[in-house]
Amino acid sequence: MKNKKLVQRYLEYVKRLKPRGMQSTIMLVFSSISITIMLLLGVVVYFRVSAASRQESIVSTQKLMEQTGENMEDYLVNMRQISDAVYYNVIKENDFSDQENDIQRGMKLIYEANTDSLRSIAIYNNYGSLMGAEPVVLQKEDPNVTRQGWYEQAVAETENMHFSTPHIQNLFDDAFCYYWVISLSRVVELTDKGVPQSGVLLVDMDYSNISRMMKQINVQNNGQYYYLCDGSGEIIYHTRQMQINNGIFSENSKMAATYKDGIYDEFFEGEHRKVIVNTISYTGWKLVGVIPYSVFTHGMFDIRYFIVLLMLLMAMMLGVVSRVVSVRISSPILKLNESVLEYEAGEQPEIYIGGSMEIRHLGDSIQRSYEQIDTLMHKIVLEQTERRKSELDALQSQINPHFLYNALDSIIWMIEGERNDEAVFMISQLAKLFRISLSKGRTVIPVRDELQHAESYMNIQKIRYRNSFSFIQDVEPAVCSCCTVKLVLQPILENAINYGVGGMDEDDGGEIKVTGREKDGNLILSVTDNGIGMSKEEVRFLLTDSGRARKHGSGVGLVNVNNRIQLLFGKEYGITVESEPDEGTTVSICIPAVPYTEENRKKLEAGHPFGGEKLPGDEISGGKI
Amino acid sequence: MISSKKMFVLTEAVLAVLVVMTAIAMLRGKSGEKHSKISVIIQDSDDNQWAAFKYGLRMAAQDQNVEMFVVSTGEMLSAEEEYEAVEYEIENGADAVILQPVPGEDMEELLNRIEKKVPVTLVEQPASEDYTVSKIPAVHPDNYAMGKALAEELLRDYSGKIKGKTVGIVSRQGGSIAVLEREKGLCSILEDNGAEVSWTVSGFSTEEEEYILEIKAKADFVIALDDDSLVLAGKTASANNLHGALVYGIGNSMEAVYCLDTGFVRCLVVPDDFTMGYRSLTETAESLGHIFRRPQSRTVSFTVMRRDTLFLKENQEILFTMSQ
Repeated sequence: MKNKKLVQRYLEYVKRLKPRGMQSTIMLVFSSISITIMLLLGVVVYFRVSAASRQESIVSTQKLMEQTGENMEDYLVNMRQISDAVYYNVIKENDFSDQENDIQRGMKLIYEANTDSLRSIAIYNNYGSLMGAEPVVLQKEDPNVTRQGWYEQAVAETENMHFSTPHIQNLFDDAFCYYWVISLSRVVELTDKGVPQSGVLLVDMDYSNISRMMKQINVQNNGQYYYLCDGSGEIIYHTRQMQINNGIFSENSKMAATYKDGIYDEFFEGEHRKVIVNTISYTGWKLVGVIPYSVFTHGMFDIRYFIVLLMLLMAMMLGVVSRVVSVRISSPILKLNESVLEYEAGEQPEIYIGGSMEIRHLGDSIQRSYEQIDTLMHKIVLEQTERRKSELDALQSQINPHFLYNALDSIIWMIEGERNDEAVFMISQLAKLFRISLSKGRTVIPVRDELQHAESYMNIQKIRYRNSFSFIQDVEPAVCSCCTVKLVLQPILENAINYGVGGMDEDDGGEIKVTGREKDGNLILSVTDNGIGMSKEEVRFLLTDSGRARKHGSGVGLVNVNNRIQLLFGKEYGITVESEPDEGTTVSICIPAVPYTEENRKKLEAGHPFGGEKLPGDEISGGKI
Repeated sequence: MISSKKMFVLTEAVLAVLVVMTAIAMLRGKSGEKHSKISVIIQDSDDNQWAAFKYGLRMAAQDQNVEMFVVSTGEMLSAEEEYEAVEYEIENGADAVILQPVPGEDMEELLNRIEKKVPVTLVEQPASEDYTVSKIPAVHPDNYAMGKALAEELLRDYSGKIKGKTVGIVSRQGGSIAVLEREKGLCSILEDNGAEVSWTVSGFSTEEEEYILEIKAKADFVIALDDDSLVLAGKTASANNLHGALVYGIGNSMEAVYCLDTGFVRCLVVPDDFTMGYRSLTETAESLGHIFRRPQSRTVSFTVMRRDTLFLKENQEILFTMSQ
C-alpha cells in the first residue's frame, strides 16, 4: 500500500517534470539514450579490460614463477651434483686414514669451482666428529653436531638427500661472522683405515643465493609478493619474514604447502587473494605467488581514469551533437512559434516559412489565416466607424428640431407682440446660428465658431427672456483656434437658462458666463450660472440617468452633448457638472486641445478618437496645444 | 530557449571541469604520489648494534610506503648537536623524526621545541626518567626490567648465593636514562641479595677502552649495561685482563653474540630492536596520515640468551635481524 503510494507520487513527480520546450525534449531524450548506451559500453569495456588484465597478471606471474622455479631447481640440482661429486669422486675413492690430503684437495677443487653458491663442505663420521672440511677453518669447541637438525635428518632417512630450512651455521669459529645457510645433508659411506663406516656429508649453501633469487622477483611494491616454504609450510624466504616471526604479519604457508601446482582463490586475514603455487622438484619446496585482489583493483586505476576520461569526453561531444541536432530539428518550429507569439503580442511580423516541407506548409497556412483575420478586422473597424458616424448624425438630428422649436416659438411670440426689430434681430441671429449649425455638414468646427454660435443663441434667448440675465464670454484667444464638436455649448446654455436664470427677474442679476481655458493639454469650456442650482443627488444622476433630471424640455440636452463628445474624442472626455442649491451651476466640457486644421478635422470626423483606443497610423497631426 | 542554452553551456562547463580533474588525477597517479619522509637520528648510526633496529625501520618503511633516512652520526652526540641535526633534517624536508635522545638537561625542552614543528618519536629511552608523564611518545624496551633480568640470571647461576660477591658495572653512556634505569633494576636485586657494587665505569673514551677495565679492582662479576661496554668487557675477558670476572650484560650486536658464543660473556640480554625500529616507524608514519592521531608509546620485549640456547630457533630469528 505504502509502495503503491510512493509509486504514484513518483509518477506524479515525473509528470510534473515535463520539459518545457521541444528542443529541450529532443536534447534530453537524445542525451539520455546516448549517455546510457555510453555508460553501458564503458562498464562492459571496463569489465572486459579488467578481466583481461587480471588474466594477464596471473599468466605473467605464473611465467615468472616458472622461470624462478627453474632457476632454483638448477641451483639445487647443482648443489646435489656437488654433493654427488664430493661423495663419489672424493669420499668413495679415498681412505681417510692415508689419503687425507687427496680428500682435502678434491674438496677444495669442488669448493673453489662453486665458491659463489657454497658456504662450506664438511664430512662428519657417525660420532659427529669432523673428518674433513672446506674451507679450512677452526671448528667450534663443541658444536654438538649430532644434535643439529641437518645431521638428524640425514641419519633419519639414510637413502635421501635432505635440504634444511635456513639457519645459522653453527660449526666453525669465524670471528664475529655468522652465516645463514641451507644445509644439504646425506648419509655417506666413508672408509677409514680400510674400514667402511657411515658418516654425514654436509654441503652448506649460502642462503643469500636463494634470498637473491627471491628478492629479484619481489621488486613490485604493489602488494603482490612471492615466498618460499618447505613441504611442511615452514617459511624459507618471505619478504616479511621478521614481521611473521614477531606476529605482526601472518602467512597462510601451512595451507599453501598442501596445494598442488596451480592457481587457487583464498580468503585469508580478511582479504581475497589469488595464490599461485609452483613446486620445486625433489625438495618439495613450494614457491608461492600471492596476488591480493586489491592489486588487480590498484592496477586498474589508470584504466579506470582513462575510461572515465573517455566517457566524459564522449559525453561532452554527445552533448554538442545532441544540441546541434535538436537545434536543427526544432529551429524552424521555434521560429514559426516566435513569429506567431509576436503576432499575438500585437506586432505584425512576417510569419516564418522555412525548414522542412511540413513546417513550411504549416507556416503558410498560419500566414494565410492571419491575413484573412486582418481583412476581417479591417472590415469590422470600418463597419464600426460607419455605425458611430450614423449614431452621431442621429444625435445631431435629435438636437436640431429641439432648438428650432424653441427659437421659432420665441419669434412667433415677438411677431405676435409686434416687436418687429427684435424679430428681425432674432431671425438674423437665428440665421447665423443655422449657418454655424450647418457648417457645410461638418461635425467638428473651431471653438471660435462654437462661441459665435453660443453668442447668437444667447442673443436670441436674451430677447425672449427680456434681458432678465446677462451673458459674458471670457475665453483665452488660443482656445478659439482649437477643434470642438459643434453645438455643444448651446444645450448647456439652454439648460442654464431653463433651470438656472430663466425664472429670475431682471433685478435679481441673473448671469451666465462662458469661459474657455487650456489646461494640461485639454480644453475646458465652462458655462456658469448663478441660478437656483441643484442638489448633489440631482447632479449625480444628471448624466447617468437622464430620466430623473428631466423636469423641463425634451431632456436630451446634456446627455446628447456628453455622448457626442465621447463618441468623437473618447471616453475620458466629456461633461462635468458642479452645483450648489441657491448658488448656481457650472457645467464644464473637457475635450483635447487639438488645433483646428482641415486634416485634424477630417480625422476626427472619420471617427478616430483623439484619446483612448486608436487605429494604427491615425495620429492627429500637430498634437495638443 | 535562453535557459536551455544556459543549461547546455553549464553542463558542458561542468563536464570540461571533470575532464580536467580526471586528467590531473591521471597525471598525478603516473608521476607517483609523494612519500612522507622520516628521518632517524641515533648515536653512532653505523655501529653494528643498530643493525636489527635499522632492519626493523626498513621493513616498516616498506610496509608503510614511506621514505626513511638514517642520519649518519658520530659516536657521541651532544644535545645541541642532536638538535641541530634534527633542524637540518626538517629543513631538508623531513616530515617526522625518530630519535634516540642523548643525555642532557635541556633535552626535554629541545624535544618539545622540535615536536612543535614535526611529530617526534623517541627510541631506546623516553625523554625523562618518569616516562609515564613524558608527553613525547617513545618506543623502548623496559630498561628497568632488563637490568633486573640480568641480576636474576646472575642469581640463578649462583642459586641466589651472591652475598659478599663484588660487582663492577660498566656502561658507555652513564648519564643516559636507559642506562640509569637498567642500573636501578640491576642494583635493586643485587643489593637485596647482599652483592656489593665495588666500582662503576661510564663515559670512557675510545682511547681509554684498552685499559679502562684492566685497571679496575678485581670483581667477581662485570656487568655491562650497553652493547659497547659489553663487547669491551668480552674482549677484555678474552684477553684475560678482567681478573677472572664473569661478564653479564645487555647487548644487541653480533659482536656481543660472538662474545656469548665463545664463552667470554656468561649471559646476554638482547632488547628486541627489530620491533623497536618497526613500531617506532609504523607509529610515526601512521600519525602522519591522520591529524588527530599521535604516535603511541610502546614497550618492546627483550630476550635472555645463554650460550647453550643461542642457536635455538627463536634466538636465530633475533640473530637474523642483527645480521641484516
